[in-house]
Amino acid sequence: MSAEPGTTFLSPGTRAVPLPTLRVTDGIDEGGVVRAAAAVARTSDRGARIAAVTIALVWHLAIGLPAVLAAGSTLTVPEVVLGAWVLVAGLGVFAGIRLLRDAPLPPAPLAALLLVVDVAVFAAVGRSLLFSPANWVWGTLAWFFLVVLWGQPVHRLLAMLAAHAATALSAVVLYGATDAADLARATMAFYGTSSLPVAVFVGAAALAALSRERAATAAATNAVLAEREAAEQAQHERGERLELVSRAASEVLTDLAQGLVDPTDPQVQRRCVRAAARLRRLIAESDDVPHPLLHELRAAADLAERNGISIDLVTIGSPPPLPVWVRRSLADPLTASLADAQDWARLTVVSGPDEVVVSLVTPDRDGPDTTGHPAEDGDGQVEHLYERDGNIRWTQTRWHR
Amino acid sequence: MDADALAPVTPGRPVGVAIVDDHPVVIDGVRAWLATEPRLTVLATGDNPDEVLRAAPEADVILLDLRLRGRLVLDKLAELSAAGRRVVVYSEHSDPNTMLAALDAGAVAFLAKHEGREHCVATVLDAASDRPYVAPALAGAMVGDPRPDRPVLSDKEREALLLWFQSMSKASVARRMRISEHTVKQYVDRARIKYTRAGRPAATKAALLARAIEDGLVRPEEIGIYRSRAATDQPTP
Repeated sequence: MSAEPGTTFLSPGTRAVPLPTLRVTDGIDEGGVVRAAAAVARTSDRGARIAAVTIALVWHLAIGLPAVLAAGSTLTVPEVVLGAWVLVAGLGVFAGIRLLRDAPLPPAPLAALLLVVDVAVFAAVGRSLLFSPANWVWGTLAWFFLVVLWGQPVHRLLAMLAAHAATALSAVVLYGATDAADLARATMAFYGTSSLPVAVFVGAAALAALSRERAATAAATNAVLAEREAAEQAQHERGERLELVSRAASEVLTDLAQGLVDPTDPQVQRRCVRAAARLRRLIAESDDVPHPLLHELRAAADLAERNGISIDLVTIGSPPPLPVWVRRSLADPLTASLADAQDWARLTVVSGPDEVVVSLVTPDRDGPDTTGHPAEDGDGQVEHLYERDGNIRWTQTRWHR
Repeated sequence: MDADALAPVTPGRPVGVAIVDDHPVVIDGVRAWLATEPRLTVLATGDNPDEVLRAAPEADVILLDLRLRGRLVLDKLAELSAAGRRVVVYSEHSDPNTMLAALDAGAVAFLAKHEGREHCVATVLDAASDRPYVAPALAGAMVGDPRPDRPVLSDKEREALLLWFQSMSKASVARRMRISEHTVKQYVDRARIKYTRAGRPAATKAALLARAIEDGLVRPEEIGIYRSRAATDQPTP
């Protein structure tokens, strides 16, 4: 400090005021927590999706296709059975890729298509091959339901399976395969091919929910920790500044008490005014974690004070979270004017949820305007006023939501 | 109690002031400020409001430090205001909440200690005539009042308060708003009068309101809602 010219209020030996390098947060970012949780849930869900898509396509290719080809002309309408197979294979590839790429699927049309295929294949397969592997919809279709409805509520899957069961039962009845053995086969086939997909679907949904919850908790914990760290840092920094300003104040008071300095001396009066202003500013800082805007302005005020300005900084209310460019548009014209101020300055911030007004008043003096008029920001959300009236120079920035 | 319970200040006689503060150096300082104004005379000083008022029951205005021996004396302030004492609070606690709480409790005016010298004499004189005086710090607290039940201020009133808070110069506010200084003061004072409806009723609030109507600052029909509130226990002229 002693090395700096123009600084009269601290005696030699006191060290320089470190310019704050405080990390500040905009408070806990709830959106961030949610995004983090969703990302974790997606990642942990990915394994299950790959499994579902693989099972559906491999089963379709390795078990369904050979059976259909082997049955050949014994099918009532082979073209329909084979064509439906090709259609579902294409649908599976399309849906599988979309699913693995996190792209949205149109679940309703795809599900409807699968149900149409279900009915068509049952109708085209014929009585003799009803329970054979050539009726591939028995085994495979439930897995495609799974792929198409991934991430949807489980009752939709159950509804699809119910429709599938109804189709199968209608086919069994219409084909006249109603003796006990056939009904038992139909039930077994349906149960055997549906239970595993349902288990996978429910299990994956539960795991995803769990990991989302865990990730949200972890992210929230981290945000709280970061905020606490910033608060501790702010506290520490204020402690240091208090020590420094207390020393400056006690020095001037001691000098006065011992009669070393003359209270009528303007220099001494300025020392008193600065020490008092500085203590006042410190006392006025009631926020645990400074809002970045206030932090910026306080840093500018400290800097101006080191240049010998007596400065008052009064804040009313706390600003809402602001985009960086808004913050810049609010603070920059002020810090520019402040850098050029002489003698004294009054910096005020009035904040509400939808409005923040920052103002700097300094004594006017001869000379050119020091603040350029910065280009209007794109949205016109921050207005900037500058005027001088012979008494004061007045810079004001105002942001409206 | 009645607004008339506030003893009228006799014209020609200096306004009697009592100073309550627990720091003798502050008392001496305030006394020195007030000594520059012949229309004011300090009748008694001390650190206990009751004792000071026993010594000078005829005091027209009490300058009260809001923190006495480490305690905020908002309750004492409310008691004095309810009893019709014109209390001007001055405090180093210039955070908005404290200022608004002091207004709610019935303080006629609030001065932050650091703005004392410039505004102290004017505040005491206005207080003695039951006229509002809004120093810049209080203007800031009013314009930034976040409470949901805060008085509804007009745009001009808000703007005048804001600019007055920022610049501390009514002349500059007048130039900026392209109105006269007198009109600036009217906007600011009207906003202050609206605050007489906030918090519990007090004789001092009723007196401020009555004087504002008398002066033509507000019309009775404009303030019906808060007149009826502030005057639950008294008719207002």
